Amino acid sequence: MTLTSPTKPGTKHRIVATPHLSQRRHFDATYLTFLVPALICFTIAITIPAAMGVFFSFTDSVGFGEYKMVGLSNYIALFTDPAIIGAYSFTIGFALVTVVLTNALAFLLAVGLTAQIRARVALRTIFVMPMVISGIVIAYVFNFLFSNTLPALGEFLGIEILKSSLLSNPNLAWLSIVIVTAWQAIPSAMLIYIAGLMAIPYDLYEASSLDGASAFGQLKHVTLPLMIGYIGINMIIGFKNFLGAYDVIVGLTNGGPGVKTRSIAMTIFTGFERGDYAYQMANATIFFIISLIIALFQLRLTNRGQAK
Amino acid sequence: MSFGSTALSRPLNRRTFIASVMAAGTLAMTSCSSDATRTTIRFNQSKPEVIPYFRSLLGKFNASQPSVNATHEVTAGLSAAFARNDPPDLGCLNYNFEMARFQERGALSDLSDLPQQQMNAPFIKQLLALYPDYPGRTSVLPYSMMGAAVLYNKDIFEKHNLPVPTRYSELVDLCSELQSLGITPIYSTFKDAWTASQGLADYTLGGAVDINQHFASLREIGSDFTPDSSTSFSKAFTDPLLKMQQLAKFSNKDAANRGYGDGNLAFANGEAAMYLQGPWALPEIAKTNPDANIGTFPLPMTEDPKDLKVRVNLDLALWIPEESDNKDAARELLAFLCQPEIQNAYNESALGFGVRSDSPPTNDARLKQLQPYIDSGHLYQGVSTAIPRTIPFENYMQGLVTGGSVEQTLATLDADWARLAQRS
Repeated sequence: MTLTSPTKPGTKHRIVATPHLSQRRHFDATYLTFLVPALICFTIAITIPAAMGVFFSFTDSVGFGEYKMVGLSNYIALFTDPAIIGAYSFTIGFALVTVVLTNALAFLLAVGLTAQIRARVALRTIFVMPMVISGIVIAYVFNFLFSNTLPALGEFLGIEILKSSLLSNPNLAWLSIVIVTAWQAIPSAMLIYIAGLMAIPYDLYEASSLDGASAFGQLKHVTLPLMIGYIGINMIIGFKNFLGAYDVIVGLTNGGPGVKTRSIAMTIFTGFERGDYAYQMANATIFFIISLIIALFQLRLTNRGQAK
Repeated sequence: MSFGSTALSRPLNRRTFIASVMAAGTLAMTSCSSDATRTTIRFNQSKPEVIPYFRSLLGKFNASQPSVNATHEVTAGLSAAFARNDPPDLGCLNYNFEMARFQERGALSDLSDLPQQQMNAPFIKQLLALYPDYPGRTSVLPYSMMGAAVLYNKDIFEKHNLPVPTRYSELVDLCSELQSLGITPIYSTFKDAWTASQGLADYTLGGAVDINQHFASLREIGSDFTPDSSTSFSKAFTDPLLKMQQLAKFSNKDAANRGYGDGNLAFANGEAAMYLQGPWALPEIAKTNPDANIGTFPLPMTEDPKDLKVRVNLDLALWIPEESDNKDAARELLAFLCQPEIQNAYNESALGFGVRSDSPPTNDARLKQLQPYIDSGHLYQGVSTAIPRTIPFENYMQGLVTGGSVEQTLATLDADWARLAQRS
């Protein structure tokens, strides 16, 4: 930490900076050998294509052939396009609901699975399983359950609400995507919570129980305050991931019924395959800026956590 | 490989081994170079059902002449290849809006001088007119056409003595009668948006609206298009789409939960009288029930039987990119594929219709009823193939058949079209 902290202005380190210099340069060379290959790859695979994409967002290109510059007109069209606005409001709403549901359930599961219960390890393994299955596979399995199994069950039990598929209900189809995405995302959030819970010193619980705190009181006054950093990080990482929702939606509803469940990533992807390249590059640029803001926010939060 | 035995007859040390391997490599390369005098061209054809068919055709082509060696490419995404300036030398793909944008931007070379163009059936001109071509060019050569209409279960119709409808009112009566007989009139699979759009939506719109005319006037209006223009989707499509919603109600109760595969299975088992799918569903149906007694009729949308039309699409069309360095070799392969005995055999095996003036009529009993309409040029291309796919038309149609508002949907479509027209 001493190597990075001297950059902070106004500390005593400034005065003693000179003897540190040679030492720092020496370390920089070592760091560079680690950093440069990754940096080159990242530049070639991510930065340059992204910059090209941003450039093309100011043209009328369809992805190949001739094009001309059109200034900001793609962006202006973007902000008045109900399809784009619809995709953004669906995706953001979906991400908010999913992130709350995922974290609430993951937290409860983590609390349950760190308690002194029988078959704890086996249960943890079972609950982690959704994490290792690919999203598109999960989506198709649930697609079958929603389209065939649940309606058949509804028919058998005479439950009206189950008889028609959730996927074909224009008002509730988004719920199926929330359920499946949460099902897949809970394990990784849960693992982070378990790690956090195991880091809480046991004597805090001992002391609080001596003070007469109930189990719920312990959860509220000891566990939750100490877990708040983990919750924040989990929420932001989850939200950022859910904004990019793609495979689960393709496998479940493919944007339907109608256009009720089209996500931002889906609209961007259609641009390249469907000849609206420049326009969707503008969309991607906007989406990138939003992701960047969230990432910076996340970075600030983690840095603050480290500073403590 | 005669040198190999001499090398191996000596005690094998590492150096002789490496030397022999290198010698083998050189020999292999020189033996290749006799082949390298042949021009290698890449042939792209990605329709999954007929990949083995074309593979064997290419084998025959490579054996039939000494100068060109064609390799088979089956990648479906062509955008990337064109973006890299590395497209195949000859393409043989479905002709739709995706393809049309390559020709519109001048990425395909001019084929108007091909002798094969003289053989096009009279209706081809009308089909090619749906998409704008690069000025002064004819960028594609049609190869095969699919004709799609209502598939119907002849056994059910005959058993209850039901006639094939030729007027919209007859169709509605037929559906009501089937319902009162306890038979599902139409099997629909609205879970897969494309089935709602290419079936019900294309048939109802194509049967009522002059599709070519509609899109030609939209192109004429160009970037001035607003929802209030003289031609708009709201003005032209409202009536047929309301009829579509009326017809959609005659579907199986669980249509919203069923997909394309479910539909093929159910129709093969005689669970419904009609099924709005193209000929591509016939082999799938035959897998379940090889004896299914199926016929085909165009969906009537007016009160005049003379208006009956069949939905067609150019299932395969040939094109040669501007970027190709081997246009002559590509034309050689094109000429090989366009020999009547090869082209006709393909159409027969793929349940297609001929696109040449000398093509024989279809032999397939299930499709025979469509031949008179095709011969007399009573055909149209589906709306779903004329709207750029950046507008989610399929999803809009899925929304309509599951109860969405026609008025709102068409207002959205008009607004989408206006925005698209302004930026292109």
